[in-house]
Amino acid sequence: MTTAPTAEETLAAALTAEYAAIWAYGPIGVRLADAERKAAAEAEAAHRSRRDALVVQLSTGGGRVPPDRPGYALPFPVTDRASALRLAVEVEERTAAFWRAVLPTSTGAERDRALSALIEYAVRATRWRRAAGITPLTVAFPGRPS
Amino acid sequence: MVLTCPVVMGRTTRRDESSPLTRRAVLRVGAFLALGGATAPLTGCDLLDRDEPPPPDPLAPLLDESLRLAAGLRAAADAHPDLAVRLVPLAETHEAHATELARVTGTATPSQPSPGSTAPPSPGTPAGPATTLTTLRKAERAGRDSAAAACAAAPGERAALLGSIAAARATHLEALK
Repeated sequence: MTTAPTAEETLAAALTAEYAAIWAYGPIGVRLADAERKAAAEAEAAHRSRRDALVVQLSTGGGRVPPDRPGYALPFPVTDRASALRLAVEVEERTAAFWRAVLPTSTGAERDRALSALIEYAVRATRWRRAAGITPLTVAFPGRPS
Repeated sequence: MVLTCPVVMGRTTRRDESSPLTRRAVLRVGAFLALGGATAPLTGCDLLDRDEPPPPDPLAPLLDESLRLAAGLRAAADAHPDLAVRLVPLAETHEAHATELARVTGTATPSQPSPGSTAPPSPGTPAGPATTLTTLRKAERAGRDSAAAACAAAPGERAALLGSIAAARATHLEALK
């Protein structure tokens, strides 16, 4: 059994997840139109906002700030609306998992922020599932490693 | 106390009409009964103090709530079979939460919500589907908030599970739209 991660480690991991999420919404957004494109832009903005907050928090805490990368490998090619929606579901569920991992290592306002992120991304994943016609719309334990 | 007082007062009123002496006597009896009533709970406390039960786990109310939410969804699915395909998976999620909460709190796997729950709307006049969904959403919203509060207050090792429960209840709000 490995030792439990520290708060700094789980926050740094959440930051790398936010980088990847922001990157993924690029190919997602171009495959969507109208209300769905708008929803993708809002989701991307939420990930940017959390990325910025994490960069500030980690650097002011004197910790290591993991760098962004020029590109990220997508789990599958995004070629049309259906694959874009499927990727959006994945992006939200994966980032939710990283914020869930922050919960045990945090207290007070920091845990509140992590919980808000987990809830927000889980809800967004459900919305994308609905748009993609995926059932069930929900999972029993959002963010829990399967 | 509650039961004895009206009886004594009733007798006082009747006897008061015939004799004031009797009235004083009855008042003394009333005072005696009042004392008895006051001391009885103290004796009860002593008994409890000597045989202290373990305090309930702080997550016990959340476990009850999971079962109530599941029961409400199942009752609504029975009343509106066309909604069942949407409601039953949500009920199963709450039951899975209850199982996990029972495990972490070391309680027996529960099967029924404790009494005093507010699960389904009262039978007799079944609510329409729209009203039913509104009622279920309201319950999920309250459930999300109580799970979030439990997550905020929990020790680290329970925080992730409680966060997932709060998030699941939040997604149910979305699924019930």
